[in-house]
Amino acid sequence: MASDSSPVNTRDGQSSPDGWPTSPVSNTVSSPGDRPRRKRGRQSSYATPSPMPTGSRARTPQATPTPSSNARRRGRARRSSATPTSTDDVPPSSDVGEGNEDDAPVVYVWGTNISVQDVNAAILRFLRHFREDPQQIEGKYMRMINHVIEMEGDSLDVDAHDVYDYDSDLYTKMVRYPLEVLAIFDMVLMDMVGRINPLFEKHIQARIFNLKSSISMRHLNPSDVEKMISLKGMIIRCSSVIPEIREAVFRCLVCGYYSDPVVVERGRINEPTVCAKQECLSRNSMTLVHNRCRFADKQVVRVQETPDDIPDGGTPHTVTLLMHDKLVDAGKPGDRVEVTGIYRAMSVRVGQTQRTVKSIFKTYIDCLHLKTTDKSRMDVQDPMETENEASTGDDDSTQKSEISVEQLKELSKQPDIYERLTRSLAPNIWELDDVKRGLLCQLFGGNALKLPSGASFRGDINILLVGDPGTSKSQLLQYIHKLSPRGIYTSGRGSSAVGLTAYVAKDPETGETVLESGALVLSDRGICCIDEFDKMSDNARSMLHEVMEQQTVSIAKAGIIASLNARTSVLACANPIGSRYNPRLSVIENIHLPPTLMSRFDLIYLILDKADEETDRRLAKHIVALHFENPNSSQLDVIDLPTLTAYINYARKHIHPELSDEAAEELTRGYVEMRKRGNFPGSSKKVITATPRQIESLIRLSEGLARIRFSEVVNKSDVIEAFRLLEVAMQQSATDHSTGTIDMDLITTGVSASERMRRENLVSATRSLIMDKLTIGGSAARVMELLEELKKQNLGGGAEVHLSDLRTALSTLSAEGFLAVHGDSVKRI
Amino acid sequence: MVGLPYDCLANPLGAVRSTFDKAMSSDSSAAALDGKDWGAAEVFRQFLFDDGGLSQVPWLSSSTMKWVQPNTLVRFRGMIQDMLGNEFYVGAYKDGDKWITNKFADGSHGPSDASSDVRIWERRLLYCTPVPGQNSWVECAPDAMRNPYISAMSPLREKRQREDEATESDADMVEPGHAIEDSPNPKKMREDGVAFEPFNLQKVVTEGSTSNSSTPPVERNSVSCLVKIYDSPESDLKLNEVFEFVGIFTFDPDLTVPIDDKEVMDDFCEDELLCLPPSKVPRLHCVVHRKLGPSDLVSSPHLELTTPVIKEIREALIGHLTAVLGGDRLPAEYILLHLLSRHNDYNVQVHARVDEVAVGKLSLNLTCFNKENMSVFGNNLKLVIGSLMPFTECLPLTVDYLNSVTLAPKKDYNTNRLVSGLLQLAEGSHLTIDETPLQSGTLNSGGLENAQVLRSMMESQKVHYDFTYYKMEMPADVQFLILSEGKSNILPADLVLPFHPSSVDPASGVDGEMLKAWRWYLATMKSLPHSIDPPLQKAVEDDLVAARQADRSLSREDFSRWLTMGRLMSVSFGATSLSMEHWQMVKELERLRKNRFQGNL
Repeated sequence: MASDSSPVNTRDGQSSPDGWPTSPVSNTVSSPGDRPRRKRGRQSSYATPSPMPTGSRARTPQATPTPSSNARRRGRARRSSATPTSTDDVPPSSDVGEGNEDDAPVVYVWGTNISVQDVNAAILRFLRHFREDPQQIEGKYMRMINHVIEMEGDSLDVDAHDVYDYDSDLYTKMVRYPLEVLAIFDMVLMDMVGRINPLFEKHIQARIFNLKSSISMRHLNPSDVEKMISLKGMIIRCSSVIPEIREAVFRCLVCGYYSDPVVVERGRINEPTVCAKQECLSRNSMTLVHNRCRFADKQVVRVQETPDDIPDGGTPHTVTLLMHDKLVDAGKPGDRVEVTGIYRAMSVRVGQTQRTVKSIFKTYIDCLHLKTTDKSRMDVQDPMETENEASTGDDDSTQKSEISVEQLKELSKQPDIYERLTRSLAPNIWELDDVKRGLLCQLFGGNALKLPSGASFRGDINILLVGDPGTSKSQLLQYIHKLSPRGIYTSGRGSSAVGLTAYVAKDPETGETVLESGALVLSDRGICCIDEFDKMSDNARSMLHEVMEQQTVSIAKAGIIASLNARTSVLACANPIGSRYNPRLSVIENIHLPPTLMSRFDLIYLILDKADEETDRRLAKHIVALHFENPNSSQLDVIDLPTLTAYINYARKHIHPELSDEAAEELTRGYVEMRKRGNFPGSSKKVITATPRQIESLIRLSEGLARIRFSEVVNKSDVIEAFRLLEVAMQQSATDHSTGTIDMDLITTGVSASERMRRENLVSATRSLIMDKLTIGGSAARVMELLEELKKQNLGGGAEVHLSDLRTALSTLSAEGFLAVHGDSVKRI
Repeated sequence: MVGLPYDCLANPLGAVRSTFDKAMSSDSSAAALDGKDWGAAEVFRQFLFDDGGLSQVPWLSSSTMKWVQPNTLVRFRGMIQDMLGNEFYVGAYKDGDKWITNKFADGSHGPSDASSDVRIWERRLLYCTPVPGQNSWVECAPDAMRNPYISAMSPLREKRQREDEATESDADMVEPGHAIEDSPNPKKMREDGVAFEPFNLQKVVTEGSTSNSSTPPVERNSVSCLVKIYDSPESDLKLNEVFEFVGIFTFDPDLTVPIDDKEVMDDFCEDELLCLPPSKVPRLHCVVHRKLGPSDLVSSPHLELTTPVIKEIREALIGHLTAVLGGDRLPAEYILLHLLSRHNDYNVQVHARVDEVAVGKLSLNLTCFNKENMSVFGNNLKLVIGSLMPFTECLPLTVDYLNSVTLAPKKDYNTNRLVSGLLQLAEGSHLTIDETPLQSGTLNSGGLENAQVLRSMMESQKVHYDFTYYKMEMPADVQFLILSEGKSNILPADLVLPFHPSSVDPASGVDGEMLKAWRWYLATMKSLPHSIDPPLQKAVEDDLVAARQADRSLSREDFSRWLTMGRLMSVSFGATSLSMEHWQMVKELERLRKNRFQGNL
């Protein structure tokens, strides 16, 4: 059998060693022995050893005993269209022409009108002349080939897009008849390498990647067999590395003679029955010498569909990959990968020892190229990381592949994009539009700034949501968590300080101390969502101070002193004390958070459940619609989640807006005005309505707003909107209820200016009352009596005097040494 | 083999072949038939449905498996438990000048000559198991089946019988079990280690008084089956759906070649089918399949669908439930609504975002059960539900149990199979969770996960299947009934209702006709469409607003529940749109329920 299928042209011999002992489909038919004329490439370790030779080999009908599809047969190369049976008579001639440009008869790929010589020439042209940029002197692949030779590498990565751009016809042939075309490809490559460096012994093979279209695993069907395909998935299992024998060496037990290397043929190695040494010739004396045999690595990998590709009510499909040589261990379980390879079917034998095959095929992919893609759905890279990313190059293409940049840009040009995005954010949580706008700004983020002096300003926006239970705060949080590029969702109650920041653990095996990252560190460059912020322990909360302004986590324990980056936005939500917000108390009193921490939030939203009939009606309508109406009618014009994530991703990655002069002016003006508002006429008290922290927040917000529009410049309108957002948030949380003005002291100290004023008034009133009524060392007065008196006088600015207020005043006075309080009685000293 | 007036029943392959030959003679290219049906399915459909052949087709069960001949037509009812992907096979090959097809066959008929032309076709493999928790009355009456092959019994029979027995005791079989007793043998379970092992143990555990004693015979009598689907769009068959398959039964012991000494290559060849050897799991080449809805499972009584009749049935059913619950009518009303509830997932498409709300479900938490009255009322209630609903499961919640089992299905990458968990339930199943045996204790991480899975299933009607590297949400439609002493905090149900029995009245026996009517009533009413008229919609909205103005603590969930109840209430009367009367009834029920709470506290 082997004799009549002697190789017909140069592509044959290359990868004769067969890796398929049990695969009757891909068995090799050639006798490789008669081809070792060329010095290089013969004993190459081809990554996909069997398919190429099989396909390209001239075949005789009985050479492939397996049932095979038409696709297979079509794919087979025939050496000549005219004389399909005359395979045996040409070998020497075809061998000569490496470029096949000599006078050898035209060779066609079997069953097609694709000429081998044409393909050969096309590939040669492509490799020699393809340039990414016409200015380049040397072709891209020539440069890469040289590089490979220098590095003594064994593969050349060929971008299928380049092939397509250069010669779409070649691309089509390559995808449809990969076995033949790749064999030619390799051969051309070998020739080129041989010309550049005749001493280069290694076999270089082409690894095609980045096909124009990738197929979903569940759409693989019989017509894809023997085609080049590319698909995405997740590795779920890897076998151990299997050494696969390629060449065996035998030794005679009698005389010690070493046989010539015997190559795998049709999946098996034939042990010589007779010693080849003329003097010996003993029978059945040959034994395998393991350490002189040549092995190649092989690995079987199983890839599963990624969750997003699975339709409703389906389970993920899996496909088996076969990896060779360098591809072994290229991925590990859990990796998301993009695989380029040749889809193949192999018939199943009834029994291991039997030749008979079942009518069922096993399918697998002969892997040509494997690329691990990013694990997370959308990994935002900030400017700092884009540099190193640029070197890896192709990473970019995967991310935007699904939703093209043009589409996103188109979207950004819409005049109502800000509104649309707001609508698209958590569309089934109605109302709360301003909160959603704030969250949108948080998602897009501002620009982080690092001054040469070392001072840095964060670009992340922190938001706190405070509100009554049942106002879908947690749902908003969950939504943002899902949407955000990277992020951790934790609940305050279950989080400890170390769990949020970092902790030192002892490795149980080595006993070394290791640093384990906590939630905040893990959400670096993302959003850390903390639910039930109020229920967090004080200890844990105090850890947040550093994170929220300096954006680092410093720890010093157990011999490890480290400062870890935690450039994260914090989105927290809290319930008021006593579960319902008490409008009479300040935010600080309501949520019991230290003012120092509160001030680090850029926006604080109060989501109150107001007894508003209008809202109730909307709620009722919404729910009734949910239950009874055809939901399609209620669908708004919203952007779907993948587009939204892609949009945010792109903006965060590529848009870095800067303040325009106009915007800067507006910012200054607005800020001054905001501060001025505290000193309204006729009031001597000083109310702080804005702090420098607010101006930073404003800059961040307006940058975020510009990003939403994909604008590189922050406009005046952005600043105005930022002011509005801040005001809305501040109005709700920092309004002093007794005066109705915004008072930043509420946030920063928890006590408003008017409240402070009232307290002072009360103290002085009490002082004068006591001066009037009591004498030094005289009889004591009861507190309740004093309260009655004060109420009569109606001091304290018209407001009612409470017992607790009085007690506070008394304690202030006693601290001054003016009086002494014993239980219920007050004595003047 | 029989000639042209082929016998679809006994020689279905003959029918396949002759239709194929016919198709080939008119259009001689086999390539044209790629992924297409050439009329074979039509022939079978005609035979089965038009000519009434369906009733002659034997059901496939462990008892019938003993005599059903390979390559004959059988029926099988089961739930799609796992999908094993597609299989490529030699669909047709040329033998000499004649094309021969392998479709609907398992055999190793390959082309004798390697060079001959072949077409590769594909088929889908589904692993189907008996529906978890299927009650005995659902099962097709086995006595209706006579054995047409009694004389043709071959010596093979004995052999197969042995294999059947092996099947039953085979640990590899992933039999979705039903609730384990609160048997505290976690030690043993842990020893076994393997995720699905506890389910096998359940077979050993004797059925106690608290269990659903009607199920075991069904489980014993059913077999799992590997169904091969041809030419059917993927969206037709979904995981966890209940189907009735009619197909060609094959059983090819030749194909089992145990490969013990796997050579290294087998690391690659090893595939999911190896753990399902044909000798243990029968193959079914599906010709016709049909999805079973709730009303397909009950036999319809000869009743007119009129409002008075429905009302009568409803009244009788509530009366029966009241008797079972010791004369407490309020829970009986609620249980009726609960049994009619169904999670309509049409909202999922629209709100397929982060937090969809599961609309239409009505989980019920009956409180005030303790150890004593549980044994009386609880069990009776379970029995009644078991006799009314086609698929019921019961889960006694204990710390040990939660810690030791895996409730959510899990993908085992070693075998590439989905290992069924208790929560892999068919659409429309009913799950009773008995929280009374729950003691204080510590949940380990597995137990915590189980509790979360249960909770998320109850709240959002979604089960997170464990795929090691990620979790996959699978929609579910399961009714939850929780029996507990106090309000269950592990599983917050939509409705909490204290249960106050007044008398221990042994539930009077119910005659079969009555049960049949009730089952039919529940199944039919459940699938009624529903709408609301605009004027009433306005009235309901006003009602809701007024209620909320009066009581600020009313939340979105409360409103949602009321509307669900409103729908169920009108559905229970056989109405397709909400009426004011039914809406008022819901409000009255809710008032009574609230009163009961105040009285309780």
